[in-house]
Amino acid sequence: MADIAHGHEEGGGHHQLTGIDSRKLGMWVFLSSEFLFFGALINNYLLFKGRDFGPGTLYPVELYDIPFTSISSFVLLMSSLTMVLAHSALARGDQDQTKTWLFATALLGTIFVSGQFFEFGEFILHGLKLNINPAASAFYMLTGFHGLHVVLGILMLLVLAFKSMRTGGLSEAEGLNVELVGLYWHFVDIIWIVIFVLVYLIQ
Amino acid sequence: MAIDVAADTVEQAETTLFRRPRLTYGFWSWITTADHKKIGLMYGYTAFFFFLAGGIEALLLRIQLAGPDGAFLTAAEYNGLFTTHAVTMIFLFVMPISAAFFNYLLPLMIGARDVAFPRMNAVSFWIFLFGGLFIYSSLIFGTSPPPVGGNLPGGAADASVLGSIPNSGWFIYAPNSGATYSPGTAVDYAALGLQILGVASLISAVNFIVTILNMRAKGMRLLRMPVFVWMTLVVALLLLFSLPIIAIALFMLTFDRQFGTLFFVAEAGGDPILWQHLFWLFGHPEVYILILPAMGIVSETLPVFSKKPLFGYPAVVFAGAAIAFLGFGVWAHHMFASGIPTVAQAAFGLSTMTIAIPTGIKIFNWLGTVWGGRVRLTTPMLFSLGFVALFVIGGLSGVTHAVVPSDWQQTDTYYIVAHFHYVLFGGALFGLFAGIFYWFPKVWGRMYNEALGKWHFWLMFIGMNLTFGPMHWLGLQGMVRRTWVYPEEAGLGAGNFVVTVGAFIIALGVLVFMINWSYSKRRGRVAPNDPWDARTLEWTIPSPTPEYNFAVEPTVTSLDDFWHLKYDEDEEGRAVRKEKADELVDNLIHTNGNPDHEIHLPAPSYFPFIVGLGIMFIAYGIMYHTRPYGIPMLAAGAFVTIGALFAWGSEPLEEVGDDHHGEEDDLEPDGSEASDHAEQQH
Amino acid sequence: MAGGAHHHPQPRQYVSIAIVLAVLTAAEVALFYLEAGVDAIGQNLTVPALLILSALKFYLVVAMFMHLRFEKRLLSRFFTSGAILAGALYLITLSVLGAVVLF
Ligand code: HEM
Ligand SMILES: [Cu+2]
Repeated sequence: MADIAHGHEEGGGHHQLTGIDSRKLGMWVFLSSEFLFFGALINNYLLFKGRDFGPGTLYPVELYDIPFTSISSFVLLMSSLTMVLAHSALARGDQDQTKTWLFATALLGTIFVSGQFFEFGEFILHGLKLNINPAASAFYMLTGFHGLHVVLGILMLLVLAFKSMRTGGLSEAEGLNVELVGLYWHFVDIIWIVIFVLVYLIQ
Repeated sequence: MAIDVAADTVEQAETTLFRRPRLTYGFWSWITTADHKKIGLMYGYTAFFFFLAGGIEALLLRIQLAGPDGAFLTAAEYNGLFTTHAVTMIFLFVMPISAAFFNYLLPLMIGARDVAFPRMNAVSFWIFLFGGLFIYSSLIFGTSPPPVGGNLPGGAADASVLGSIPNSGWFIYAPNSGATYSPGTAVDYAALGLQILGVASLISAVNFIVTILNMRAKGMRLLRMPVFVWMTLVVALLLLFSLPIIAIALFMLTFDRQFGTLFFVAEAGGDPILWQHLFWLFGHPEVYILILPAMGIVSETLPVFSKKPLFGYPAVVFAGAAIAFLGFGVWAHHMFASGIPTVAQAAFGLSTMTIAIPTGIKIFNWLGTVWGGRVRLTTPMLFSLGFVALFVIGGLSGVTHAVVPSDWQQTDTYYIVAHFHYVLFGGALFGLFAGIFYWFPKVWGRMYNEALGKWHFWLMFIGMNLTFGPMHWLGLQGMVRRTWVYPEEAGLGAGNFVVTVGAFIIALGVLVFMINWSYSKRRGRVAPNDPWDARTLEWTIPSPTPEYNFAVEPTVTSLDDFWHLKYDEDEEGRAVRKEKADELVDNLIHTNGNPDHEIHLPAPSYFPFIVGLGIMFIAYGIMYHTRPYGIPMLAAGAFVTIGALFAWGSEPLEEVGDDHHGEEDDLEPDGSEASDHAEQQH
Repeated sequence: MAGGAHHHPQPRQYVSIAIVLAVLTAAEVALFYLEAGVDAIGQNLTVPALLILSALKFYLVVAMFMHLRFEKRLLSRFFTSGAILAGALYLITLSVLGAVVLF
């Protein structure tokens, strides 16, 4: 019997019948399921936002600062632009620009998350605690889980960005990672597009 | 191919940091393995271990109920045992043992060397294992003091070991599962434990979907895949779309209990019925997650042991997919007694009945397969036929619950318990045992003992009907589900006694199985390579399966390709074995057992194991976050998990300086392999 | 290289898409503020208008930034299945719970 080497890697170059790289396919498959995840969170908020919890309680709606949220939504939206620019720069083989846009995306993401921290802080100062009523619980859980997704994305972006600083920049395999993180990042952005309208603007 | 020297040096540096493990035997090889077969076996053994635990819990329950006014268990212990029994059987036995089948067989049946993401496959297993251990650690650490104002009798005994395991029913209904009515940590163990198991299943679902879509053998179009592979795909899709829902529900429950959110707290405006919706939005797809693997298995065994092709292959595939799709639209049939609007009751009653159509199609196709076949009543065939018979009974009682007023009478009685045991025990479990015996020779290269196998079957079949058959009557007589005693005057004693006797007969059957398994895998008759005269690719390779699966990647030109290699049809359409069949098979298996070039296999890794461990500690940390050690535990768990994930990402693709590794090995006649591997280098 | 780069949009186009997205967002916010000043009929129109605007943004990001338009059909099948399934299931749930009136 011939030797067997252990070294063939994940998503290996073997046949990919669909013509789609396995890791990319896996990412899309996973993202499809995330609709059910965020859907449940949105469902909770829509269910509770109109309920009557008696006098003296406070609803998230009463505290919304629409100009502020509009700006942070805009920031997240623009981070999708920088993300796609990073990917497109890499496709052209422009490692310098890739690096710049990766850092820019992470930065915009950080601004968005800081905005969310600030918003939470303000809300809590005004008395909208997690346990004041189920609408508040649902609001924090929805935006909180979204924020957590953004934070995760920032971490992955930073890993890539720092890797891109090495001489030679990102290798081809890591290039695919840029695309994958990009998909994830855009997805988190479209979820926010939905949240912004369903939760903030339609009151 | 251009090799970037600079990049190579970088890789070298990392190599010394993250040296990949290399052992292929012994303890560490199992911990670090990324081989789908080893992972499959680990899933199987772990699941079986939990099956024994769940079985013992069931026997304790049955001892308590053997006669009226039983005093063997306290009410609290009874609650803990029936809940943990169900959680164990569903999440720690049937799901993982199905995963064992998927893991071991999926790559073999589609002619692949492994799954698409071998290390992610390993991480699924380890997360599952630590999740299971986490739930069972409630035996040691769990607490369940009686709620303030609660009315469980039993006093101090309620705090016993068995009273402090998860105890709120497997569907963890609010508000009973909230902090008010379930103080202590028992419910947290269930909520966080199921959350962990969900992560494991979601990862493997993505993995299997990608594997099936991307890695099939040449020529294996979707409608040439074995039905078992189809059902794997359908189950993976069900998992993919239903797990996120329960994940949110479990987060909400955990937050309610740990951080004071109010989702299910009715007094504060929360909505306990929301829990029921979210739970059953997941829960009904889940029951198909439990049964479809078994349906896939018998769709393989029935044709083989009838020497006929599967009757109506496309219909069986389509029906399986239809069941899954419809299965998303029926969840509220579990909530007919919860006061949902009348229109909803009617709609969900109707949608539930439509599921009977594809289910019926499958049953008729199986019968059509056996009909007029040359039937061989081996143990796997007996289990398959048993599956069909018992599943029909369970399906019929299911249809009776779809009629709303009828269900009002049945809900929360033993009639429901009878229904789901016919589909789960008679259905899922019998199908899985059929699979265990059918593929036994593949895994061990030896035959199981046929006499013991038949004893096992008949003990199980008789025991099962004695146990769950009378429950229909008991339920209709009004015996309520989930109560630990019934009074003498209720007249339920005789029926319950029969049930308990049946349960012990089943236990005997399991014992016979264990003897058969452990004896035969070492001492059984050496198995021929194609012992059943089978139809699918896993039988075209030597048994036990070589580490690399296929020496030559197979090409497929039709459904049941291997069968057509061996058989022709005569004028009347009957199968006739070709004269040269034996020779052809021997040649094929010889070729597949003797690779003429080096084969690259997934490299082992420590990190999946570490990720699983880390996640378990995160869960402990969340649960005990108010204790001094809670936050440190959470931080440590998160650090270990993220660190391991990072290290995983930086793990060199291949060990530099690995003796086995060399460009010339990859050269294949057409050169395609070689270029693939070159891409892999960076 | 990851994905055939040939028919993908160029950076210039990405920027114009982003400008469109920004304009749509501005329109959403404007609608929100206009709502207070219009009559009942107008108010009934803002909700659908907002939904349409966000759907457009959603589409643009998915189709162009995530390249779904240029990918194999399989990917959009998965993606739309997830989105539609989630929409349908939660809409039914909300209506059974009485938070949305479907019929
Ligand atoms: C023709 C097919 C089926 C129909 C029409 C059906 C219908 C139902 C209905 C309406 C209920 C709710 C009864 C109640 O609680 O009042 C129910 C319960 C249940 N069914 Fe089925 N069912 C079918 C097949 C299955 C299968 C294949 C499985 C699992 C493999 C299954 C597992 C269960 C379980 C576990 C419960 C009880 C859940 C609980 O209360 O803990 N059913 N079934
Ligand atoms: Cu159901």
